[in-house]
Amino acid sequence: MKRKVASRPKQSQRSTQVHNNSAAGKKWTYGKRGYALAQSLRQFTQRKFSSLITLAVLGITLALPALFLFSAQAVQQLASQNIDDESLTLYLNLNVTDLDGAALSQSLNGKPGIQKTRYISRDEALATFQANTDIGEALEALGNNPLPAAIVVYPTKQQADATAIKRLSTQLLALAEVQRVQYDLRWVQRLHAVVKLIQSVGWILAGFLTLTALLVIGNTIRLELLRRQPELDVAKLLGAGTRFLHRPLLYTGALYGFFGGLVGSILALIAFDQIKTPADQLSHLYASTFQLEMPSVSQFLTFLAVATILGWLGALMTLYSPSRQILPTRRTGM
Amino acid sequence: MIRFENVSLEYEPGRFAIREASFRIPAGAFTFLTGHSGAGKSSLLKLIARLERPTAGTIEVGGVDFDKLKPRHEPALRQQMGLVFQDNQLLHDRNVFNNVALPLVIGGYSYTDIKKRVSAALDRVGLAHKALDAPLSLSGGEQQRVGIARAVVARPKLLLADEPTGNLDAEISADIMRLLMQFNSSGVTVLLATHDSGLLDNFNYPRLTLKQGRLVDVHPGTRKGVADRSRQAYSE
Repeated sequence: MKRKVASRPKQSQRSTQVHNNSAAGKKWTYGKRGYALAQSLRQFTQRKFSSLITLAVLGITLALPALFLFSAQAVQQLASQNIDDESLTLYLNLNVTDLDGAALSQSLNGKPGIQKTRYISRDEALATFQANTDIGEALEALGNNPLPAAIVVYPTKQQADATAIKRLSTQLLALAEVQRVQYDLRWVQRLHAVVKLIQSVGWILAGFLTLTALLVIGNTIRLELLRRQPELDVAKLLGAGTRFLHRPLLYTGALYGFFGGLVGSILALIAFDQIKTPADQLSHLYASTFQLEMPSVSQFLTFLAVATILGWLGALMTLYSPSRQILPTRRTGM
Repeated sequence: MIRFENVSLEYEPGRFAIREASFRIPAGAFTFLTGHSGAGKSSLLKLIARLERPTAGTIEVGGVDFDKLKPRHEPALRQQMGLVFQDNQLLHDRNVFNNVALPLVIGGYSYTDIKKRVSAALDRVGLAHKALDAPLSLSGGEQQRVGIARAVVARPKLLLADEPTGNLDAEISADIMRLLMQFNSSGVTVLLATHDSGLLDNFNYPRLTLKQGRLVDVHPGTRKGVADRSRQAYSE
């Protein structure tokens, strides 16, 4: 075969050669991956309005999963913090001396089911009572201290559920020095239940919405596949393999995922900012140190990566679904 | 170059597109494939391009036995062929340069190679000055020439043309024919499907005639040069 193409162009041809070179696009768009990326990006610029609508739908859909991902750590912290603060208060008989009370507290420390103890003497109890209430002066008028000494018992995490605490309470009440055991698990239990419910409902909703995003991307790719049918047919006739044909569509899916995730994250951050103040106020009411922290850069990037993979999976799902025969087979134009 | 042994293509039971066709086309030959509409010309080209699989018989193209060809190797085989279509199949979302460049992008050529080869291919079809134009702004004949430039840009060994002059007037058809002959003279095997009697009369190359899927006539042609070699091969 003559290699005319490789020969040096004649003088008369040089001007056209230069002209043709200027007709070539950017260098990166002629590599296989570059071509696929350029085709994917072009679909966003060619159909700006429909792309924006799709991105808005994806953004709104992904905003809730983003919100849950960003707040998951904080909610977990809230749940565990309250378990850590769980305690029982043992009120001792009035005839128990400070020495005996402290010794009892010491002896309980480290026993099975008990994480730590703290002894509150009668004087300390009075001082605290006077500092926190308005009837301190009335107590002084009585002449002697009516308040008993107390031991605050912190159960281990394994003993933090209601049944275990009840069992521990019965054991401690049996001690001769102990007059009464007081604990109130109900509000903590309710809080835990509410947190758990919110977590469960949240994750289920996030799961559904993620599935919705997957379907939205899948459907967008299906439409893109139909729109690009002529190009795919021609490319197949020219010797394009499955990878070459699928790559631009997979990139389109990944780009939808990425940009949809970006919009979703921004919406989630706005929502996060709005709920931060009331959440902190609520936390303060329960004397908790819990604070809703803004998501970190790594959380943000993780969400974007997950959204991008989601988009890629949506495209993959469409390309490898049973209806993938819409890819060129017999529509060859011959 | 191309060998068919008792090849049949049956789309549905009893509905044959090709029926027991046997022939050989030697490398470097220019061959017409002729017959009325629906005779099976396009189906035969599809079989050669591996766009259809025969229901019976053996096909060999360029030394590749299709029975042993794995589906994943089919795109590579197709890259060795140039395809020209009646409706040229140009992509209207890109300019002439990028249409011609597509086979090279698919083939994984370097940017420098792509620029050189596309320029050269457009030069050969006389459309270098139209590289930036949109295909729709070109005349029918020019569009067909762009189609030919795209078919030959990767320097295929085999050129399959399906009614490339079907929509063109006689003068432009002759122009397209001359281009195809030019490529043939540089060693490319050309198989041109046509029912254009003007072309068949003016360019008396060897021809295979199909009728209702059957190969009814193998005419050796009278042209000198390449045709002499072809005549010898066809008569084997």
